[in-house]
Amino acid sequence: MKSRNFVNLNVNPCKMCMPLGAVTAFKGIESSMVILHGSQGCSTYIRRHMAGHYNEPIDIASSSLNEEGTVYGGEKNLKKGLKNLIQAYRPKVIGVATTCLAETIGEDIRRITEEFAVQEKLEGIEIIPVSTPGYGATQFEGYYTALTEIVKKVAVDTEQNGKINIITGNISPGDVRNIKRMLNLLGVEYILLPDVSITLDAVYKSRGYTKIPEGGTRVEDIRKMAGAAATVEMGMTVMENMSPGKYLQDEYQVPLYRCPLPIGVKNTDTFIRLISDISGKPVPPQIQEERGRLLDGMIDSHKYNGEGRAVIYGEPELVYAVAGLCLENGIKPVLISSGSRNDSIQKLLESGPEYPEEKILIIDDTDFETIQEYAVKLKSNILIGNSDGKIITEKEGIPLVRIGFPIHDRVGGQRLVYTGYDGSLKLLDDITNTLLENKYEKYRQSMFERYYAGGRDNTVNQTELKSSLNQSTAEKTENHPCFSSCAAENARMHIPVAPACNISCNYCSRKYDCLNESRPGVTSQVLTPEEAAIKFVEVRKKLDNLKVVGIAGPGDALANFENTARSIQLIKEVDGEIIFCLSTNGLMLPYYADEILNLGVTHITVTINAVDPGIGEKIYREVNYMGRKITGVDAAKILIKNQLDGLKYMASKGVACKVNIVMIKGINDSHIGEVVKKVKECGAVMTNIMPLIPAPGSVFENMPLTNSKELNELRKKCEIDIKQMYHCKQCRADAIGVLGEDISAEFRTKGCGGCSMEVENNPGGTYTFAVASKTGMMIDEHFGHVEEFYIYKSSASGTRFLEKRSVAQYCGGEEECDDGETKLQRIIDTIGDCDAVLVLRIGYRPSKILQDKGIRVIQTCGEIEDGIKYAVKQLYIAKNRLGSAV
Amino acid sequence: MDSKYLNGILEERKDFIFCNSKDGGGKLKCEKDSVAGSVSQRACVYCGARVVLNPITDAFHIVHGPIGCASYTWDIRGSLSSGPEVYRNSFSTDLREQDVIFGGVKKLTAAIDEIASRFSPKVIFVYATCIVGVIGDDIETVCRMAEKKYGIRVIPVQSSGFAGNKSMGYKAACHALLRLMGDQKHSKVKGVNFLGDFNLAGEIWIIHQYLKTIGVNVISKITGDGRCDEIMKAPAASLNIVQCAGSMTYLAREMEEKYGIPFVKVSFFGLEDTRMSLLRIAEALGDPEAVKKARQLIFVEELKIQSRLDYYRKRLQGKKAAIYVGGGFKAISLIKQFADLGIRTVMVGTQTGRADEYEEIRNITEEGTVILDDTNPSELVKFIQEKGADILVGGVKERPLAYKLGIAFCDHNHERKHPLCGFEGAVNFAKEINLSMNSPVWKLVN
Repeated sequence: MKSRNFVNLNVNPCKMCMPLGAVTAFKGIESSMVILHGSQGCSTYIRRHMAGHYNEPIDIASSSLNEEGTVYGGEKNLKKGLKNLIQAYRPKVIGVATTCLAETIGEDIRRITEEFAVQEKLEGIEIIPVSTPGYGATQFEGYYTALTEIVKKVAVDTEQNGKINIITGNISPGDVRNIKRMLNLLGVEYILLPDVSITLDAVYKSRGYTKIPEGGTRVEDIRKMAGAAATVEMGMTVMENMSPGKYLQDEYQVPLYRCPLPIGVKNTDTFIRLISDISGKPVPPQIQEERGRLLDGMIDSHKYNGEGRAVIYGEPELVYAVAGLCLENGIKPVLISSGSRNDSIQKLLESGPEYPEEKILIIDDTDFETIQEYAVKLKSNILIGNSDGKIITEKEGIPLVRIGFPIHDRVGGQRLVYTGYDGSLKLLDDITNTLLENKYEKYRQSMFERYYAGGRDNTVNQTELKSSLNQSTAEKTENHPCFSSCAAENARMHIPVAPACNISCNYCSRKYDCLNESRPGVTSQVLTPEEAAIKFVEVRKKLDNLKVVGIAGPGDALANFENTARSIQLIKEVDGEIIFCLSTNGLMLPYYADEILNLGVTHITVTINAVDPGIGEKIYREVNYMGRKITGVDAAKILIKNQLDGLKYMASKGVACKVNIVMIKGINDSHIGEVVKKVKECGAVMTNIMPLIPAPGSVFENMPLTNSKELNELRKKCEIDIKQMYHCKQCRADAIGVLGEDISAEFRTKGCGGCSMEVENNPGGTYTFAVASKTGMMIDEHFGHVEEFYIYKSSASGTRFLEKRSVAQYCGGEEECDDGETKLQRIIDTIGDCDAVLVLRIGYRPSKILQDKGIRVIQTCGEIEDGIKYAVKQLYIAKNRLGSAV
Repeated sequence: MDSKYLNGILEERKDFIFCNSKDGGGKLKCEKDSVAGSVSQRACVYCGARVVLNPITDAFHIVHGPIGCASYTWDIRGSLSSGPEVYRNSFSTDLREQDVIFGGVKKLTAAIDEIASRFSPKVIFVYATCIVGVIGDDIETVCRMAEKKYGIRVIPVQSSGFAGNKSMGYKAACHALLRLMGDQKHSKVKGVNFLGDFNLAGEIWIIHQYLKTIGVNVISKITGDGRCDEIMKAPAASLNIVQCAGSMTYLAREMEEKYGIPFVKVSFFGLEDTRMSLLRIAEALGDPEAVKKARQLIFVEELKIQSRLDYYRKRLQGKKAAIYVGGGFKAISLIKQFADLGIRTVMVGTQTGRADEYEEIRNITEEGTVILDDTNPSELVKFIQEKGADILVGGVKERPLAYKLGIAFCDHNHERKHPLCGFEGAVNFAKEINLSMNSPVWKLVN
């Protein structure tokens, strides 16, 4: 089985480098610091990576090797680094770990550190060099290598002390605390290495912060490890040359017992039994009780777990232990994988009693690209490992139970307790619950899709939805002056943001704008969405009763949908209460229906003059539908179909729909009753029958007028079918105010530069300025330091940036002072056409020279724009003063 | 000057710290290598190059080196894409001992072959890491040959970690971008390139929308939500807009020289900067219509957020802030944003700020404000406590430190998941500051 899909590439790494492991080991020693011999990045990256997981300050020094150190040797840097580190932190133990760089240039850190200790006459500080080339192996090997070096250097006291050495794997501080708790319950004396329980998960102390955290294995204790009764090492997959236990056994004959991380019943049994056997102490009742509870929990969840198909990944020791827990619970590990190179996982599992008939795929030295592919291929439904596997969750939707290092996308990774009987139960519960959550989330849908043969019945849901939507719309309808005659005191505002139209009606003319003319399609200006929003704010300030914003052309709201939508969005953000209303011919209504709903439009008016294409043909000259120009009866057909479809859909979604009908004598007057019936069927709540206004220039300009008696008779007749609007005033596309009292003329200039944002006009003359600015935003540079001047022009029409002009720096320090004069001359040449220069500061001489040349010097600071306004005033005043003198 | 405030500081670090006084005395050392053993918060050359280039969404980014460099930078930037997701994968040659001894050229060539044969890449970036620089792999040649072989762009990024600091990495990235743009002549198009936003939380989309509203056409986004094709067309633009000055000024200057594109520096962090930037862009284009629209946009957008901002201003008035961020541009913006909320900046530092940026910082902060270059945890602790800051702004490394000191924190780096730019961002910023600073937990723990 190949371990990686790519031969020469590691795609999405499932491992980190050796120095990180070494740092983790040293962080479990009391009063210790680490310095990485290499370039600055290594220490910073590892600090960042660990800080994200542990949520503790992780201080790691670096010898900060630069180019020189790399070429001529880094001894000087390392010694200086050690010296500074000691001064700043006063540690008792210093781990000196190498990096790729130091190893490649062949640094002899053993010699350097020994020499340093002699030169500095160090006392009471243990310096422990560890060789951890990043390319050598992974953080897993770095961790055990560092532990072995620590033991080699420090554990020399062979006096028998009867204690048990406990070498923990790379587990969370929470887990270390739990292991210590179990050892204390067993009542044994032990030396635990490394002890990260406090150092990497410190308590909060108000005003008690220390740069090196409290806790960690004491050096005095490590010294005694050579005289312990036995070593229990959590390291079934650890190579012998990296095993501190093996070293103690070979060197000092301390018996070595190896066990897996105590995760799962059997693995915890092994650990507890070992301790109990070595110490001769019985297993206390509390631990027995915890074991019993774990067994009880395993029974409770076994049926759910039986459906689990797990992908396990991470450090070899961890995946081996977690695989054990899965196997004993019937969770099938479909893939067990590690980014470290390690063949013992396979050997150990295959020889184990739990190994299933169906072979388990076990790969080492792999990457997430490969793991992801197998996870899908092997139909995994749960991932167990560190946060880096989240990429598989994200891409494939397989949920992840987080364990190991790093956990940087969730809090509490450092506090997880997954060891011991109690911790194992927590891990098992987390796995089971993840499986359950996944199942409950999907089973309704999957059962339905698999077994239900008929189509989905949606009627019930839709009715519910409609009635709930209607309620809020109904409330709003009461406040809408066009929909409710009781709301006559409320004002509305039409924003003319939709100039284009997509149909040509024979009664329409939008050619003229007479301020006194009041009819649809007329406006004195068209606004951009931003202008409309500004105008809205101005109007709202004056009209407390403003309740409705409508878009009624001057063209068609939906023929300009981008403008319509943006205007609504902007205004909605300024005022969340306002009612939005659209008026349209309905051609594009089905097309934009959902977007209109999403915008929160609650009221719509569709103008439908006919439902018979034969009659429609006489009213509509042309329809421009999706870029196609259509005429004749086809045009009317498309328009009517879309009007009615759109109306039906909007009404079904709870939008209050009004239908406007233009009564054109001799064309559609006898057809209107039919129109009313049809639109009612489609869900309209009211119709508004309006008289034709024969607009000059329109095809119908000479058509007969309808008098109000005829109109009201027709309305009365139709009232039997649907509510009628009697109070329509046929408003302009920019109408403002209550119905019938258009005050839009008062706001004519608003939103088109009439707002308070307009620049104050330049009071006189056109000026050119040279501005000393570093950033192009502020006047923030000394004249002598300018490399580029920003040139601005200011005139009655405003202030404008022209260009940048570069000049050689005038003031380059003393040594260049001699040719300062010529440089100054060059500057004057460059900006000679300017009326003034604006600078932060300027020396006396250059200032005088400039003034003599007729260039005014203005010392100021702040925004360029403000500076220029100030300068214009100064120049204006100066000019006028001069003028009066002459 | 009274130097008592420097008690306990490493001798070699003292010149990098400055206590603001308006008498004009004193000078801050900056743009130097980090002091060994000082526990600098800086990363390396590679890091600088990686953060700038990685947001190009449809490029393949191969890290040529051992696994660590790739592992610690995999998908940490949080940049968002509106399309391709290639950039979110980590490709590394994962060099081992054998490769270090015999050279990594063969492996790199084969790695490019693998990518070319499995995908149809348009552009591949190859990043050099520390040991590639030391073992002397000629990645230039490898890339050139691959370009010839596949007819695609394969661009080396000279980012060996030890060869300078993060700023050098920015420069290496800019060189790579220039190579991508090429030497071809383009006929000019009216529109701008937006340089120096990395779309950590949709920022580039927000700004794009603003520009669209005021009628400014965006030719390319460099590099947030970037596309290779788009960047190749960048030389046609009529103006460059530069936001992250620290990483992108170099590119802007080169583009000015090479393609004749002028540039303006902008910032969309904070109301004041956003307002000025929009006007500046419109003005720089010499488009009176755009200026008018920009004014309208500013008016409307400010109106929308005014009441919300006022709410936060009331709650934040009189507090004190400490800032430690990557570049000077961001620090300056933050000081102004804090001032807008009624918060005084009492400590401010950057990893790679330049002299002129520190001068600006000096101009806009009050007397007594401590200014730091390339600082470290010891100094941060000292000055945060001495100055009584209520909040620290920084990145992931600084977060636990702030929390351990019992003060609020604001992430202005990769980790955040909400935009802090533009009008909306100004509210988000105030909201986050308020949320952390006025959380009930502080009453319990302090």
